Amino acid sequence: MSALTFAYLTEPVLKGVDFTLDKGAIGLLGPNGSGKTTLLRCLLGQVPLSRGQVSVLGWDMATQARAARAGLGWMPERGGVIPGMSGVGLVAYMGELSGMPARDAMQRAHEVLHYVGLADERYRACQDYSQGMKQRLKLAQALVHDPEWLFLDEPTSGLDPRGRVSILELIRDLAWNKGLGVILSTHLLADVEAVCREILVLRAGELLARQAVDTHARQARQVFEVEGFGNEEAFVAGLRDLGAQFEPDGRLLLVTLDLSKLPDARQGAGFDTAAGVNAILRVAAASDFALRRLRRRPVTLAEEFYRMVEA
Amino acid sequence: MPVYERGYTHWQPSGRRVNPAWLVIARRGITEPLKRRWLFLLILMAWVPAIVKGGIIYFKLKAGNLMDLVGGGWTSIEPEGFLRFIEGQRFSVFVLLAITGAGLISTDRRENGMSLYFSRPLGLLDYIGGKALTIVAFYCLITLAPVCVLCLFSYLVAPGATGPDLLLMTPLRTLVYCLLAGTSISLVLLAFSSLGTRSVFVMVWWTVLVSGTETVGAIAEGLGRGSLQAVNFLGQYHNAGSLLFGAPPRLEISPWISLAIVVAWTGLALWVLRRQIRPVEVVS
Repeated sequence: MSALTFAYLTEPVLKGVDFTLDKGAIGLLGPNGSGKTTLLRCLLGQVPLSRGQVSVLGWDMATQARAARAGLGWMPERGGVIPGMSGVGLVAYMGELSGMPARDAMQRAHEVLHYVGLADERYRACQDYSQGMKQRLKLAQALVHDPEWLFLDEPTSGLDPRGRVSILELIRDLAWNKGLGVILSTHLLADVEAVCREILVLRAGELLARQAVDTHARQARQVFEVEGFGNEEAFVAGLRDLGAQFEPDGRLLLVTLDLSKLPDARQGAGFDTAAGVNAILRVAAASDFALRRLRRRPVTLAEEFYRMVEA
Repeated sequence: MPVYERGYTHWQPSGRRVNPAWLVIARRGITEPLKRRWLFLLILMAWVPAIVKGGIIYFKLKAGNLMDLVGGGWTSIEPEGFLRFIEGQRFSVFVLLAITGAGLISTDRRENGMSLYFSRPLGLLDYIGGKALTIVAFYCLITLAPVCVLCLFSYLVAPGATGPDLLLMTPLRTLVYCLLAGTSISLVLLAFSSLGTRSVFVMVWWTVLVSGTETVGAIAEGLGRGSLQAVNFLGQYHNAGSLLFGAPPRLEISPWISLAIVVAWTGLALWVLRRQIRPVEVVS
């Protein structure tokens, strides 16, 4: 995808989005209205682009979207369940529309419904399904033609915690064990952490960041809980010289260190995890500040996300 | 891993024949309503006039022109008689198409079905073509099919009296008429269906279009304002059909004007469909 720009009427929704994805589980994060669903629609070739180029599976989506869609599965957030059909009927129907022979589609519909856990409910009218079953059904119809990429728009929306975990397990299995590419659009950061290896962060239609979910990639930024007594002013000044940021948290002082700014913190492609602790200990010793507590607080994806979005 | 999991396997194509998307859509559109038993009853009732006409034809062919006293031109086995038969089916056409066609697009819009359709390798023509074919099939089931059966029946009852024209040209004329009229009517109904998200809304507008305009046309005729019959929606199809069947005009306006009105309706319907059918979600 290069320099993608899309606008509804004159309102720009995506502005110069540019990235290339390898197969795997990708999380698409962003606040409401940031353009996540529109980006997925662009990847499906469902909307005309104002500018830029989208290429999926080697097909140019401006002119060859139909061919590309044979290799794509789409699970919409809202609706997506056609009333009056049984679960197996709907999934087989979608399989046929994806270019499968009728008998193959029916056989495959049974298989994927087994896979998503709807085997016992497959002959029921799908409008009578519970929300969790509908989500599974939508996942099944997206899988029926064995796509190379799955685009999932808020797949855990409206599910209870158990149903959510169950759907996430399926998605994780597909992405990590079955070799499917998955783009998971959601605002639930825990879902992304549970499934994805990489995230794309959108804000106001712009690609804000792209980074691995793996904590090692985030270890350049470390947060410490600090409590002590002594010459606090000198201690804070010493840390400030290292580029630290401070935030009071009750009796504690939260110190955020960027290891990339510390000398000798680099270790191979990453950072020495002890570099931050050592730096604080050195500053405390030099400024006559006795530490009562020094603990590294793990940086969650949520904190990282809010930091990026609110920056 | 969940206990119910049987494992995901990749699909190996069997090499069997793949149906085009429009045919898949049409097949589903036809078979789904037929799962309702009362629809069979409705279709059977729509065939009652054909059964009656068949009986009359039988006696006419066996008892000479005596039966001309019953039913007049409607019982004729000339092409005009069959056009009048199709015209007589308008109530059944109105009801059956309202039931089977009103929700074809509105339901997809309401349930975000378009998003599913257009995430598949199909285009706008496949979608509209499949939906239109559904309506054309039901239209033909109560117009073209009875006419063909009646022609065959007449030929079998009295081959010498009817001649091959009844077996070839009349079914052919009816086929062309039903395909053209059915396609145009189906596009108009689909256009209405694409304007709303509720079938009831579509049915109301369909009733206004068919029954309302026919009533206005009839009142206009009663008042001696024949030109106002141009508003009669289904009447235009029958009037234009008189060109094909070599019959006198069914309305007081020229069949060519009716043909132009039919073309205009069709063009308008296509324009509406082009604008309305998009793979976007309807936010409720």
